[in-house]
Amino acid sequence: MSKLSFRARALDAAKPLPIYRNGDIPDLNDCVSINRAVPQMPTGMEKEEESEHHLQRAICAQQVFREKKECMVIPVPEAEGNINYYDRLYKGEFRQPKQLIHIQPFGLDYEQPDYDMDSEDETLLNRLNRKMELKPLQFEIMVDRLEKASANQLITLPEAKLLLNEDDYLLKSVYDYLVRKRKNCRGPSLIPQVKQEKRDGSTNNDAYVAFRRRTEKMQTRKNRKNDEASYEKMLKLRREFSRTVTILEMIKKREKSKRELLHLTLEVVEKRFQMSDFSGEVLSEVSVPLAEKTVHPAPICLPNGNRHKTENKVKSHKSTPKHHPHNVTVKAEPHFDFIRPHKKSSRKPKLDTLRPPSRPERPHTVNTADIKQYDFHSSGEDENPQSPSSEPDEENDPDGAFVFRRRAGCSYLSPLTEQSDGSPPVLAGLDAMWQRNALTALSVPRRCVGVARRRLGRGGRFLLDRPSSELDRALRHLDPDTFCPSVTHSTFAPLPTDSHMDTHTNTHSPSPFRTTPQRSLAQLLSDIQACRWRYFQPRPLHQNQRDESGRNALHEDDRKGGGVTGTSSSRNTVLGGITEEQFQTHQQQLVQMQQQQLAQSQQQGLRPSSNLPERPHVHVSNTASLDTLSKTLDSASAQFAASAVVSTPNKDGKTHNTAVNGILPNSGSSRQNKFSSSGSSSVRPSGASSKPLLAVPQSLPHGHGPLSSVSAVSPAHTHLNSARPCAPSPPALKLATVASSLDRVPKVTPASAIDSIGRDKNEPERLALNGIETTVAMEVT
Amino acid sequence: MEIVEGCRLPVLRKNQENEDEWPLAEILSVKDTLGRKLFYVHYIDFNKRLDEWVTPDRLDMKKLQFPKKEAKTPTKNGLPGSRPSSPEREVRKSLDLNVQAASAPSRGKTLPTPVQLTLAHSTPKKYTILSYHIKSCMNGLTMTCFLKCPNWILSDTFFPHALNSSLWPQDSQDSSDGIPTAPRMTGSLVSDRSHDDIITRMKNIDCIELGRHRLKPWYFSPYPQELTTLPILYLCEFCLKYLKSLKCLQRHLTKCNLRHPPGNEIYRKGTISFFEIDGRKNKTYSQNLCLLAKCFLDHKTLYYDTDPFLFYVMTEYDCKGFHIVGYFSKEKESTEDYNVACILTLPPYQRRGYGKLLIEFSYELSKVEGKTGTPEKPLSDLGLLSYRSYWSQTILEILMDLKSDNGERPQITINEISEITSVKKEDVISTLQYLNLINYYKGQYILTLSEDIVDGHERAMQKRHLRIDPKCLHFTPKDWSKRGKW
Repeated sequence: MSKLSFRARALDAAKPLPIYRNGDIPDLNDCVSINRAVPQMPTGMEKEEESEHHLQRAICAQQVFREKKECMVIPVPEAEGNINYYDRLYKGEFRQPKQLIHIQPFGLDYEQPDYDMDSEDETLLNRLNRKMELKPLQFEIMVDRLEKASANQLITLPEAKLLLNEDDYLLKSVYDYLVRKRKNCRGPSLIPQVKQEKRDGSTNNDAYVAFRRRTEKMQTRKNRKNDEASYEKMLKLRREFSRTVTILEMIKKREKSKRELLHLTLEVVEKRFQMSDFSGEVLSEVSVPLAEKTVHPAPICLPNGNRHKTENKVKSHKSTPKHHPHNVTVKAEPHFDFIRPHKKSSRKPKLDTLRPPSRPERPHTVNTADIKQYDFHSSGEDENPQSPSSEPDEENDPDGAFVFRRRAGCSYLSPLTEQSDGSPPVLAGLDAMWQRNALTALSVPRRCVGVARRRLGRGGRFLLDRPSSELDRALRHLDPDTFCPSVTHSTFAPLPTDSHMDTHTNTHSPSPFRTTPQRSLAQLLSDIQACRWRYFQPRPLHQNQRDESGRNALHEDDRKGGGVTGTSSSRNTVLGGITEEQFQTHQQQLVQMQQQQLAQSQQQGLRPSSNLPERPHVHVSNTASLDTLSKTLDSASAQFAASAVVSTPNKDGKTHNTAVNGILPNSGSSRQNKFSSSGSSSVRPSGASSKPLLAVPQSLPHGHGPLSSVSAVSPAHTHLNSARPCAPSPPALKLATVASSLDRVPKVTPASAIDSIGRDKNEPERLALNGIETTVAMEVT
Repeated sequence: MEIVEGCRLPVLRKNQENEDEWPLAEILSVKDTLGRKLFYVHYIDFNKRLDEWVTPDRLDMKKLQFPKKEAKTPTKNGLPGSRPSSPEREVRKSLDLNVQAASAPSRGKTLPTPVQLTLAHSTPKKYTILSYHIKSCMNGLTMTCFLKCPNWILSDTFFPHALNSSLWPQDSQDSSDGIPTAPRMTGSLVSDRSHDDIITRMKNIDCIELGRHRLKPWYFSPYPQELTTLPILYLCEFCLKYLKSLKCLQRHLTKCNLRHPPGNEIYRKGTISFFEIDGRKNKTYSQNLCLLAKCFLDHKTLYYDTDPFLFYVMTEYDCKGFHIVGYFSKEKESTEDYNVACILTLPPYQRRGYGKLLIEFSYELSKVEGKTGTPEKPLSDLGLLSYRSYWSQTILEILMDLKSDNGERPQITINEISEITSVKKEDVISTLQYLNLINYYKGQYILTLSEDIVDGHERAMQKRHLRIDPKCLHFTPKDWSKRGKW
């Protein structure tokens, strides 16, 4: 055919092929042979098999007949037979569920022995069953475990004994049987298994080795993080489960004991009946020594090691807090509760909601809790005997970071036993800083230095040690001028420190603090302790009136209040300021605390006066350090106030103005205004409208007597720009004493410290609160 | 005169019409049981599945041919001889590549008369490697080459890191050493014949009892060796666990509460269901299934684990449960468009349309995936027939249904057929060729539907009752490449 001579184009899969029916084809001759131009596609079979007789026959048949012919099919070996015992073998029926079957992953993993008993085993079982009861499944489990523990050799009998907690006789007979059976068994194990590869590669060639692992790492990317997370989860899960098991075991034990008790009681009754002990005489006779014996059963020890231990741990956690050495305020609380419930309860609910949640030194507490949370009790850890004993103390200590810790090199005075029942906690962290330092401002380069501590250097120079704190940023913004009207300059000038402003106040007796530059640390500390409980004493009503007279001093206060704040270190950035709202809530808290204290002081009623004589003694010995101390105590609130002041202007200039203005005149009303203007809904004790504001300053009453020639004002005061009236004037002092009888404790006197000792219980709380405030402020802003 | 392995002689067997035949056969093995010799024979040009143990009286001793030169006789087409003796293989290790290379050309020459030629120092491994080469020369089409070479190439391209490490050199080394190399690890369980030794060439299981059926295995399967001597190997019908005795099976059934394959049912219509089993998640079942399937699949190796595969098990429901009818396996990720790795209808269900149903289902899955697919090669004889039949019917169905919109002759591209059916383009072409539909007319290719084709197709479709209903398929393909693991 000539047409073959040209070369057909390659078949193009993308080109449409017209379809011709048989009749349509114009001239068949033209087409047929051309077919060869299309490359023959491979069949996809092994070539040598393609030529197999039966296949070729079948293919031909199909080509010819266009359908399968029975005789032309490829023959295959066939087995005869229906299994007539099928129905007996596969018992029961299976109803097809309506839904498509969906299998749960791991749902198949229930534990069933892989070993299946054969007839030989059945003989043994029957033999054994003459002496004891042994179910086929039990037998299978035994064999299964033994087989799986054995490699080429059956494990030894002692090993088997360890493995199986079975009756000796049974074990022995089964074991001996297995030894024999294994000898006759051709396979490596009584449980037939597909041969597995050996690592050395010797089995690469073995036809019977199947399902080798693909050693090449197919998964190059593995999410390790994920693995770790799930590992932790699994650990956790395991622990939970083991706890559950422990609990269940204990329940089991308990129930067993109950049953036993019941049986025993029954027995006793029976015995009594037999003995005709109807009156119970014999019983009582017998039971007397018994009762002595049954003191307290030791805690039940379950044999399961780790589980038990964790359990113990939990127990000890709960019990130890009671023996806490710190007897001030220890309350057993669940460790995950960071905000003390009793504190909450003391607050008014409204405050609770208003006040942003605050956490003093929270990191510490949280950390322990966190650690605890992820403290997986793996078996290894549990073995550590120390953990249960050492942990609970810290963990359950409600004082958290405020736990009293003795410091090396310090001597501690014993508490005044007649009043106090505990020693005040030593502050830590931020509070510690405030304890030693005060807000400071320089007069010549008029600016705030921030928190600082004054020291006397060589040649009588004043040195300022400035610690850095989170507050620095806020303090830095404080402009002394803003808060210290120029009027006060005059008072400022006389300051002995030419460039350094002394923040230390010693209003009480001006001299001591400067004359005794070298005080022992111990002294200092004791002073601190003595002073600590001075804040938050209810302020007598008359203070307001006194305000006028003490105005100068107050001004000083104010000025200082401005000056107090200042920043030396610019690196701290945390604190951005405090919002008005926070300030208000703070105030509210103060009010509340005041109320509490009021209540207490009322109880103590007359004490202040009786204690008064004592005061000089205390005071003298403490001298300047006292002041420092008092300042520090307030520092938290001072800081708070300061930051509040700082921040308010930012928010609303007007408010700020009124606030400042209102304060300066010192009129109670203006103060009122300020508060109302800021929209505070502070709860104040009726009748003592102005007092609540004072909260903090109370601690410094002594500083503001007429004696206070010293220009320095304690920062505690200053920070209370708004609460300035607190500064007690001499008349106030007197009034205070009077007031004391009127159910107000005269906070004015240093002696108040003594009073407050009685109240010191509140102290830690308040301290905590203060701390809380600060942290929150930082967080919120 | 002693008959040894490698001898050839006519052996009596009954054909399908129960007539006596004396086809030429090769003795693969001799065994002595109870003083009586038995010979394992392979009928030349018959499929291995018909190999059997025969008694001496079926041998035509008059026409006995001895194996030449005491060495292995390569059987058809240079495939391994019937006696790859193991000691020799060990020796092979020391042979180096040069020997191998030198022998290659000679092997090519042996092809026309493969039976006669023996090569003293060749090893089974060499045969396989070389046979690909030879075959490719022979038919010009390099089909086998396509199939086989990728195995080696692929294992390296797929694992780039392996190139640097030891895999590639090892591979070449191994293959020349005559130690069968590990098959590629990319998944395929298809045997590449590199492990074709005397053990795997002989059936090792005599009979399998599975549910209501007894099955005569066709090929070797690596069940535990101690079980191969049993007259009957018992399988649990549902979990496919192998048991050595009926008693054990009874005991097992008290503990096994499976009544269906342990996977998710992704298709159900009538009594037919399909279950999807993950070869990684359900190893035991997958392995048991593979062991069973190996009995009926020659070109399958169980060398590697089942992790990269999914198994789709077709079942038929009755009141006792979901009985396995057949299955196919599928790589989770196929680099070669394979949508089926191994496919099997269990013998009791063969020739009843189930095979086609399995194939149809595999293409339905591909349709859902939006891919075209093809079965992994090589195909067995039955596989080829089934696939051809399926492809033919599927394509003819489309062609016959084509209507022209505007009175013109209907037309369709091969690509379109491929897209509609998910049948890979090459398979479409080969089917069209096989059906002799492609013709060249007036400068273009046309498809001609002859009368007998149309009639044959219509008759065949009438017999085809079992069809997959795509609406009953509840299948969402997973992107395995993103899982990191299979």
